Amino acid sequence: MSNQPITSRVQLPSLILSAVFLVILMPLLNSFGLISDFTLGNWGKYLCYGILAISIDLLWGYTGLLCLGQALFFTLGGYMMGMHLMRVIGGAGVPTFLSMVGRTEWPSFFGPFSSFPFAIAMVILVPGLIAAIFGYLAFRSRIKGVYFSILTQALTYGAALLFFRNELLMGGNNGFTDFRTLLGFSLREMSTKRGLYIATAVLLVAVVAACKWLTNSRFGLIQRAIRDSENRVLFSGYATANFKLFIFVISAIIASLAGALFVPQVGIINPSEMETGKSLEAVVWVALGGRGTIVGPIAGAISVNVLKSWASSGATADFWPLMLGGAFVLVVLFMPKGIMGIPEQLQGLLKGIGRKKENTKDLSPSPILSDESDLLSSGSTPTGES
Amino acid sequence: MSQKPFLLAAEGLTRSFDGFKAINDLNFYLDEGELRTVIGPNGAGKTTFLDLITGRTRPDEGTLLWDDGKHDLLKLNEYEIYRLGIGRKFQTPTVYNDHTVTENLVLSLAGLRGIWHSLFGKITPQQKDRIAEILGIIKLTDHANRKAGILAHGQKQWLEIGMLLAQEARLLLVDEPAAGMTDEETYRTGELLLSLAGKHTIVVIEHDMTFVRQISQGRKVTVLHQGHVLCEGPVDKVQSDERVIEVYLGRKSKAA
Amino acid sequence: MATSMHKLSARNSKNRLWLVLLIGCMLASLDTVKAQERTVRETVAAAAAASTPGEQREIILTLKAKPSPEAVKWLEKWKEGGIFLQKGEGDLVTPVLLTGDADRDGGYATLRVSDNSPLLGSDGKAIRINPKEVEFADTDSGLRRAMKEVSDLAALANPDTVKRIRAIQDSAIGQKQEKLPSLLLLKSIEKDPGALHALDEAIAIIQLRSPVVAERIGACTKLGEMSSIPASDTIKTILTEAVAAKDTATIIAAKKALIAIDAHISRINAVGTAFRGLSLGSVLLVVAIGLAITFGLMGIINMAHGELIAVGAYTTYVIQNIFATGLKLSPLGFSISIPGMGLSGSGLAMYFAVAIPASFIIAALVGVLLERSVIQFLYKRPLESLLATWGISLVLQQILKFIFGSNNVQVTSPAWLSGNWTVNDIVFGWNRVFVISFAVLIIVITWLVLNKTSLGLLIRAVMQNRNMAACMGIRTERVNTMTFAFGCGLAGLAGAFLSQIGNVGPQMGQLYIVDSFMTVVVGGVGNIMGTVISALGIGVADQTLQQYLGNPVIGKILVLGAIILFLQWRPAGLFVTRSRSLD
Repeated sequence: MSNQPITSRVQLPSLILSAVFLVILMPLLNSFGLISDFTLGNWGKYLCYGILAISIDLLWGYTGLLCLGQALFFTLGGYMMGMHLMRVIGGAGVPTFLSMVGRTEWPSFFGPFSSFPFAIAMVILVPGLIAAIFGYLAFRSRIKGVYFSILTQALTYGAALLFFRNELLMGGNNGFTDFRTLLGFSLREMSTKRGLYIATAVLLVAVVAACKWLTNSRFGLIQRAIRDSENRVLFSGYATANFKLFIFVISAIIASLAGALFVPQVGIINPSEMETGKSLEAVVWVALGGRGTIVGPIAGAISVNVLKSWASSGATADFWPLMLGGAFVLVVLFMPKGIMGIPEQLQGLLKGIGRKKENTKDLSPSPILSDESDLLSSGSTPTGES
Repeated sequence: MSQKPFLLAAEGLTRSFDGFKAINDLNFYLDEGELRTVIGPNGAGKTTFLDLITGRTRPDEGTLLWDDGKHDLLKLNEYEIYRLGIGRKFQTPTVYNDHTVTENLVLSLAGLRGIWHSLFGKITPQQKDRIAEILGIIKLTDHANRKAGILAHGQKQWLEIGMLLAQEARLLLVDEPAAGMTDEETYRTGELLLSLAGKHTIVVIEHDMTFVRQISQGRKVTVLHQGHVLCEGPVDKVQSDERVIEVYLGRKSKAA
Repeated sequence: MATSMHKLSARNSKNRLWLVLLIGCMLASLDTVKAQERTVRETVAAAAAASTPGEQREIILTLKAKPSPEAVKWLEKWKEGGIFLQKGEGDLVTPVLLTGDADRDGGYATLRVSDNSPLLGSDGKAIRINPKEVEFADTDSGLRRAMKEVSDLAALANPDTVKRIRAIQDSAIGQKQEKLPSLLLLKSIEKDPGALHALDEAIAIIQLRSPVVAERIGACTKLGEMSSIPASDTIKTILTEAVAAKDTATIIAAKKALIAIDAHISRINAVGTAFRGLSLGSVLLVVAIGLAITFGLMGIINMAHGELIAVGAYTTYVIQNIFATGLKLSPLGFSISIPGMGLSGSGLAMYFAVAIPASFIIAALVGVLLERSVIQFLYKRPLESLLATWGISLVLQQILKFIFGSNNVQVTSPAWLSGNWTVNDIVFGWNRVFVISFAVLIIVITWLVLNKTSLGLLIRAVMQNRNMAACMGIRTERVNTMTFAFGCGLAGLAGAFLSQIGNVGPQMGQLYIVDSFMTVVVGGVGNIMGTVISALGIGVADQTLQQYLGNPVIGKILVLGAIILFLQWRPAGLFVTRSRSLD
């Protein structure tokens, strides 16, 4: 578009710098021993979470669809990759999760998963297809807002119930673990881990670039218009259901890819990853970082998880849920635009103070709490400061 | 009735909400190129009628045909109806507050509405010129890159009319364009609508009788009452009709 | 029903004495009348002292003349090895019981089995016996069989109708033809309709194995008419045999009977499924009704709803402990001791009556706190209310863990909840009856509050049009707080209720949150009646699917799928609150 916001032009160099840092510098520093293997492994995880956060933001921040099923797509991607990793372990007989339910042979649907390209295709197709079917049904009947959230939560809940069953032959509550190799490289080797980290960082950069392009296209305009006033878009001749379905499928695939890269790095996948709390936790990252921006969710995902790995062990472990929950409440109440919105908030605050001095009668709603949505921001917005 | 092929024909339309008949056996015919004004007291069913045409609500009974019966509007949904060339300005200004004025117009530009086009389609120089032209018409050239949300009420109303122009709609449904405007703005809005008459078919719903007189200029005015057409004709004839005086002009109100 | 049963058994106990006597006389005439004058104790003593097993058996069988619970008690004692044989001079053997505490040599005081008098030595002193040094009265299989005959007969004559019916039903097992006479005899004097029905059934089941073909066919027909489920297996065996023997008459009779029985079984299953579905629906209803207020009426997506349920459950737990022996808690290392009232028995059982209002009030107070501190800022931002309340739910869970620990706590439910009530082979568990009654109670409370109180009027006014209500001078803020608190209080009630039928732990609420939301969404937001119908509908659908699939998890998944499809058909739920203002 011709009239890009100026901020995004300023951001571009710093984005490229960050990309270079994450993709090239971090692994380089690690191979010189300046960053520990443990730290690099953790950052690999964080970046996967960052990708998951973008997928949530594409739906929530840009389209107004709060999907509580992104953990499902993330986990499904993980399971598809896990099936491949299980298949290439080799050795005699079948893994315990199969012998436990009396199977002596691999079930037929595991067969093609010994091929890596097939597994990757499934990582894209399975969540994509589920999102397409569910999205088609939901958007066709114009389920939106909180109903969409509740239904996606129910979908995730149902899937988790299914995956907890041993009879599904997906490992029950233990899931898949004890992976050995990926594409012939041992997963225990640091070089493989570094490779996986780089792959994650590259995917993150690619996803960021794609989302930048997408949200700056006319599609992005329509997306945000749907978020702000879907009915108006409908009365401007757009089949909003199709647009929503498209972005829903895309973000399911993005989440799934993140999950697929996550699993070989942490070495385990089980259904507890798709419990309803997981989706909501990822929503916290987005809310904290700032929804409706591309960088915000990544910043949120990384900062919450850095904090989490520091706080959720040892003496502070019991207080972690309090911190997470409390932070969430505070962000929702006082920082609706998250970290990314702080500069704007400060500006608004300063302006507000200046204006109050001039004219005490001026009661125009402060930008701090005004919501983007015209439906929601009508009427006076209660603020914590009044 | 007119022998010319009609653009829009509504016959026997009925729509009730919880027993209350907002539209009751409504018959309404519109010719191509007309500028029709619809008046009626509050609750006469004016806005519901527009909702029915644009597919926002569905009637319990009746037919609604478009372009000499080529299309049955009742079988189409909102965006399909829009794509036939039926545009609507809502009673309360409904623009995209978080988008700039230009972006609002870009979203309304006539043309392909698919996902593919939205991703890869380019805006042509002709379209750019058209946007500039519309900005001129609706007097928002200076505000082109400002967010629509911070425009004044009247400017939003104009922007919404501008969006209809960008759409190149055959039929403009304009719901209370003068609401909340100053007399000066109201007059200019009337001029704008008059300048569009002929190029577009226009249905204006209005309360403000000064405004109605300004734009109708001897054209046909339809009076709705309790969801039914009470009478039709030039404004003078309508205003002297006893039934109209009783139900509407007798308690004339300018309330928005 | 219960009272009429009670009356019946009261009348029967009056007739009990002569019934026992009559059985005794008639059976006695079948056996040798040897020891009419002996008491039960004397008979047992004589049997224990008898020299040969055959003699012992014969003496024991004389007890069939007096099939009393006392005799059963003595025979049990014998079988357990509680009767010792003190050898006297010559062949004299005295059966004795040992009693009191052991002395230094391991000896016990003795009592004669025959008359309960202490056994005296030749010096006139009471003899003490070390159980290791004397034999005890042994039993062999023949003797045990005889003893069983006696106790079976005693059971048939049991004055307690319920126990008697069970004995009658047991007597049919194995289809021993020799049991027929006593059953027929009992039938001639039995008055209780339930027992008579059981007798008819038992007699017919035994007759299925009768050597007379006509009798077998008659039994088949009779059992078919009675839709006797216990007879089903035997009739199937008979059918196979009859097919092999090409006995057409029996085949027809058996097939007819089986059809009747199968029809009866599927009827029972249908009613049972409906009943279980109703009770599951009631659980859903109870947990969802609070949400129907906070979400349905107010539009607050309260993800902390589950934790408010937990608050109610823990309140019940605390109240129970206050009624009993008190409670020690150690949140964050502080030690808090709540004294108890030390009640037990029926006093303790009263705790639930206190717990119900207490759990409502505590949860409602938590609701007031939440509404004032967080929720009041989110009325126009439903998605954000979802997120903020999820944060609250994390915090509440952790607080509950701090106070009560991460493990489940024990809330005892009244013993009667584990009982049941059987009508026409259908079992109605009291716990399910309790569930349904509780749901009805909550619905009535909610309906009364919303429709018959001024608060209800205000709630409905504010929920329909907040701005208009404010213009009319209603203090909408206060009404909001009250409404939210009411919804939370109902969640607390649900917690008190769940503590009686499930586990109480800090995460218990998470189990119900998805179900509650689905119930409200399906019912149609803003419509309490819709919630009621959707809860019952989902409950019955769930149980029916379970019945057919035999798998609760798959059933639940299918229900979730069905709900998604249902919303295709009715996106706004069962009951749409229609209005002209869309969006």
